Amino acid sequence: MNPSKSCLRILMVGIPLALASLAVSAQTPPPGRLLASQCSQCHGTNGSGPGFDEIAGKSANEIYHELQEMKARPVEGIMDRQARGYTDAQMRLIADYLSTQPGNGGD
Amino acid sequence: MHHFNRRNFLKSAGAIAAFAAIPRAVSAAVTSPRVVVVGGGFGGATLAKYLRMWGGNVQVTLVDPNPTHISCILSNLVVTGAMSMSRITLAYDSLKTRHGVSVLQGKALSIDPAGNRLTVETGTGNQVLDYDHLVLSPGIDFTPAPGNWNPNLTPHAWQAGAQTTLLKSQLAAMRANDTFVLTVPKSPYRCPPGPYERACLIADYLRVKGRTGAKVIVLDANASIQAEPEAFTRAFTVTHAGRIQYVPNANVLSVDSATRSISTSAMNISNAKVLNYIPNQRAGAIAASLGVNLLGFVAVNPLSYATLAHPNIHVIGDSCAVPASDGKAVPKSGHMANAQAKVCADAILRTLSGEVLDQNVATNSACYSPITARTASWLSANFIYGDIYDGNGAVKGKGMHRVDLGEAPSSGVDGDSYQDMLTWADSFFSDSFK
Repeated sequence: MNPSKSCLRILMVGIPLALASLAVSAQTPPPGRLLASQCSQCHGTNGSGPGFDEIAGKSANEIYHELQEMKARPVEGIMDRQARGYTDAQMRLIADYLSTQPGNGGD
Repeated sequence: MHHFNRRNFLKSAGAIAAFAAIPRAVSAAVTSPRVVVVGGGFGGATLAKYLRMWGGNVQVTLVDPNPTHISCILSNLVVTGAMSMSRITLAYDSLKTRHGVSVLQGKALSIDPAGNRLTVETGTGNQVLDYDHLVLSPGIDFTPAPGNWNPNLTPHAWQAGAQTTLLKSQLAAMRANDTFVLTVPKSPYRCPPGPYERACLIADYLRVKGRTGAKVIVLDANASIQAEPEAFTRAFTVTHAGRIQYVPNANVLSVDSATRSISTSAMNISNAKVLNYIPNQRAGAIAASLGVNLLGFVAVNPLSYATLAHPNIHVIGDSCAVPASDGKAVPKSGHMANAQAKVCADAILRTLSGEVLDQNVATNSACYSPITARTASWLSANFIYGDIYDGNGAVKGKGMHRVDLGEAPSSGVDGDSYQDMLTWADSFFSDSFK
């Protein structure tokens, strides 16, 4: 019996079985994606509408500073409350992620 | 001894080529994980969409008894005729065509947790679905008081659709001096501001229609208004003064739908013109079959929404019980179900790819409540994963701690908020179903 052939036979049987375990093709989720998804109920999926002000496609600093401003000022609108629900570190993650999203060029 | 020659090389090359082809075929056919989602409301639809959007090759099947979802959100405006039923009817088309979700119309009958199988009753017989992860988002079931309750006579309209239409027709038949009785279930129940919002809209409708002397009696099983207390107290005592009677601590003792009569610990009413009895609530039956806590809901891990007994069976939305600080419960709302669906989708994908769960998790609920046909209030609540506290401020474990809660200041209960409500609904419906 040809040893290399039997090796190959074992490989042919073994590897597909190993590959049959579950696998997702998705990459490691980008940081901030899950936190930022909690903005989408009111700003659209990935922050690009429909909804209130489009938050995708802005610079991370602009988003972060707007959130900080809303968190600090007296409550008038609903976002002044929502901004109080996140730590500064979470705001930074959200802003960084949203700045990578294309948006539709809206306000 | 093995002599490597051209002939052997070609045979090997052919074998390798064939071998190389096999894993691709196998990986497509076998290794793509299967997630079955039960319930196509805001929780289930969002979960299905985000799993496909984030999850590459994950196969997602969404099971729901109905061909479309009719939203409870905005449905009080359908009751008063301010909005059409079509406006709150949400189709599964985008989930299917844009996101590649399989939609199966049928009723989930039973779960076999050991065999990872779900049995679904469909129009063409029972089907058995194999799953790697099962997500249950079935909404609520009712636990009615003793007596003779028939929701086809006294609608709850707390699940939208035919019930909404029935309540609308009963409201339209009201005349001067008639009484509309509405009950508020014992907390926790679906949509904490919802019953108070409905009372306001019914009172406003009766005023606009000139139904002199007609009024709304609110029988609240709780000791006080459960959401937006400032806005609703003002609405009951100022905006709708004389048209709304608010009765706290009214636990329902018995109901008779045929005579539209109700007995409570605070007040008895016979022969109301409309009895809008909204019973106490518990987890939907398919979720409850896994076992419930003392309040009737299914305890879950707040980082994955997995049940405590079965790590690959998850419960999201109204049916789940999220560990939270005392007195700061996570509300049961469509918005919150959408938020939980995203956390659950992320956790399932991380689990499937062998990664640890993200602990930097936040959820929120934000919603608008119409106070009249032209004005609305709003409510906002935020939760962050971490320590949760008992009534004395001592740490009692990990869960979703409410870090902020608030309602619109009185200056914000206005027409702008009513328009914002429509913007919010457009965005929220789209994020969940499109």
